[in-house]
Amino acid sequence: MSQGFRLRERAVLHFNVADFAVAVERVTDSSLRQRPVIIAPLQAARAVVYDMSEEAYGEGVRKGMPLRQATRICRGAELIAPRVTLYQKAMQAFVKELQGYSPLIECGQADGHFFVDVTGTHRLYGPAPDVGWRVRRQARSSLGINPIWTLGTSKLVSKVASRLVKPVGEYIVTAGDEAIFLDPLPIGLLPGLSDKELLKLQEFRLTTIGALAKLSRQQLMVPFGSRCDYLHAASRGVDDSRGCLPTTDTESIDYEHSFADDTNDQRQVEGVVSTLVSRAGFQLRAQQQVTRRVGIWLRYSDGGHVVRQASCKVGTAGDILLHKLALTALQRAWIRRTRIRSCRLVCDRLQRQSPQLSLFPEPEKRQLQQKKVTGAMDTLRRRFGHQVIGVGRQYPMHIPADDSGESPIH
Amino acid sequence: MGSENKDHCPAKVDISVAPGGTEPGRACPVYVGTCGYSYTEWVDSGFYPEGTKSTEMLGLYGRCFSVVELNYTWYQMARADALARMVEKAPAHLLFAAKLTRTMTHERADNWQEQLQLYRQGIAPLKKRLVTILIQLPPDFDRSIANRNYLAALLDGLHDLPVAVEFRHGSWAIDPVFAELERRRVTLVAVDEPSLPGLFPSLDVVTNPALFYVRFHGRNQEGWRSGNMQKKFNYDYSDQELRAWCDSYIYPMAARADRGILLFNNHVRAQAPKNGKKLAAILAGLHHGGR
Repeated sequence: MSQGFRLRERAVLHFNVADFAVAVERVTDSSLRQRPVIIAPLQAARAVVYDMSEEAYGEGVRKGMPLRQATRICRGAELIAPRVTLYQKAMQAFVKELQGYSPLIECGQADGHFFVDVTGTHRLYGPAPDVGWRVRRQARSSLGINPIWTLGTSKLVSKVASRLVKPVGEYIVTAGDEAIFLDPLPIGLLPGLSDKELLKLQEFRLTTIGALAKLSRQQLMVPFGSRCDYLHAASRGVDDSRGCLPTTDTESIDYEHSFADDTNDQRQVEGVVSTLVSRAGFQLRAQQQVTRRVGIWLRYSDGGHVVRQASCKVGTAGDILLHKLALTALQRAWIRRTRIRSCRLVCDRLQRQSPQLSLFPEPEKRQLQQKKVTGAMDTLRRRFGHQVIGVGRQYPMHIPADDSGESPIH
Repeated sequence: MGSENKDHCPAKVDISVAPGGTEPGRACPVYVGTCGYSYTEWVDSGFYPEGTKSTEMLGLYGRCFSVVELNYTWYQMARADALARMVEKAPAHLLFAAKLTRTMTHERADNWQEQLQLYRQGIAPLKKRLVTILIQLPPDFDRSIANRNYLAALLDGLHDLPVAVEFRHGSWAIDPVFAELERRRVTLVAVDEPSLPGLFPSLDVVTNPALFYVRFHGRNQEGWRSGNMQKKFNYDYSDQELRAWCDSYIYPMAARADRGILLFNNHVRAQAPKNGKKLAAILAGLHHGGR
């Protein structure tokens, strides 16, 4: 007799720390509480808002808004430079709390969002609502932050519930009630919809999720094409996606730099590329990986962007070859006279560094020396931070003591 | 001493109360149930059939019990739409006790008066099937003046609804407290829990003649303060322990009240429903087995 297996009803908790960066800053400085706070790079001439407090949000400040405009709207706001490393540390601390309840945790990049799949953990840790409540209590007492927690049978349902109770609260969507729960909610609460799709839904006067759920897959196929499957399932609360677990072996290494002012100064752009290369190379060596392709993304001031790559047959983690590849890719990408707003470097096709020794004669003395210098620089960077040392061609950027000017994206 | 119900209400036992003086004998109906019913673990443990979905649990629960304590209303504010749906699906005989939300007990919010109004609206669909609202107070809620004032204000806010209060701090076990609860016709919850210092003791005090309320938490001394529910409420009552409870507490309380509810909170490995069924059988005089 075949022993079939039954799929359990899933229990997915979503924790969301509203305005995560502000919440972390408020833990470090209690005088920021109850005051409007805007977090944005302060030195940059055309800085945009990185995060803002609920008070500033109430005044009309939004993420990505030019800082000048934000400060005009919310004059009394406290301005703080972003400390991404600090936010990432806070994320790690929260994840550590969560690891006590489930190994299946998905979290974003310093954004205060965590999905925890607690399906099947009830025998160890009790019912899922109790886990949600306990994690929140622990986060409040040990980290000083107060996350929203919601419970649903999928990431989609728990995420929508979070959006409903933001900025504080909790919400339990009972299994089986997903469609009833979603039915009256505004369609904008459904995650994963693009602006174009929202606009199209608006044109069709589909304002609630329930209205969308009434349409068949065939009806949705006409205006939305291949997206009809997602819309059809999501509007009914069906989401079988699993949490994306963080892996140590990342699929790509990715760094970006936004120029304070748009530029077409070759020296400045190449300097930035060199800095990004040194960071990517450092990370590759730390992960004992090599890359076989380097890509450069140039975003121009008019919003357009160009992507070009350069690759090599044998993977590398050395700054010299990485730099050559990056400059080749830059040359290929820099095809317009428009000024550049940001530059992104992506190393992909990653492989583990081979422990196999070379069959052929040892590399030249010069190469050995370069390897030694890179090793010494890495040691210094590990101990004192990346900005402590660099090569002459790198672009000198103002880097806060505990943070980097570039944002890793991977 | 008891007799099985004749109105197809499972785990409801009429306890015969001996006549006192000129009064004729009467029956005190007691309803047996558990604290919560939606536990995935109860599927693994065999109380619910394999493959039971959450939506099917209440119907199956109602085949065995006559009352249930809603504990999810402690985690989040009661919502009328969700409770209305639940009541609609519930078997007709099933009664409900609803826990007060934690924002008015364990994590008191500044706007607790507003929360109370929301709660009252939220539980409205329970109507006559609501046996009582349970105010479970935290272990650190001692009999300080501030806490006494708060509790008085909370009870005032619920004055027109049936209310039961469970204390966890031993300082409340004094006669003036019982007298005040009696004056307000508020039920004092009798508890069975580990005999640890500082905890509220097991008492047979009846402060509201309309209802007595017993909660069996289990007697897991090691797990009680572990912070892990699976350890805290992991206990299996023996026949002897349940029989002793009947003799020492339940029968004396039934003699002084119109009805009672007996609820098991030792939910781990479905020991609560197992013990609940056993207690109902003991009260009905049907259970003669050992442990």
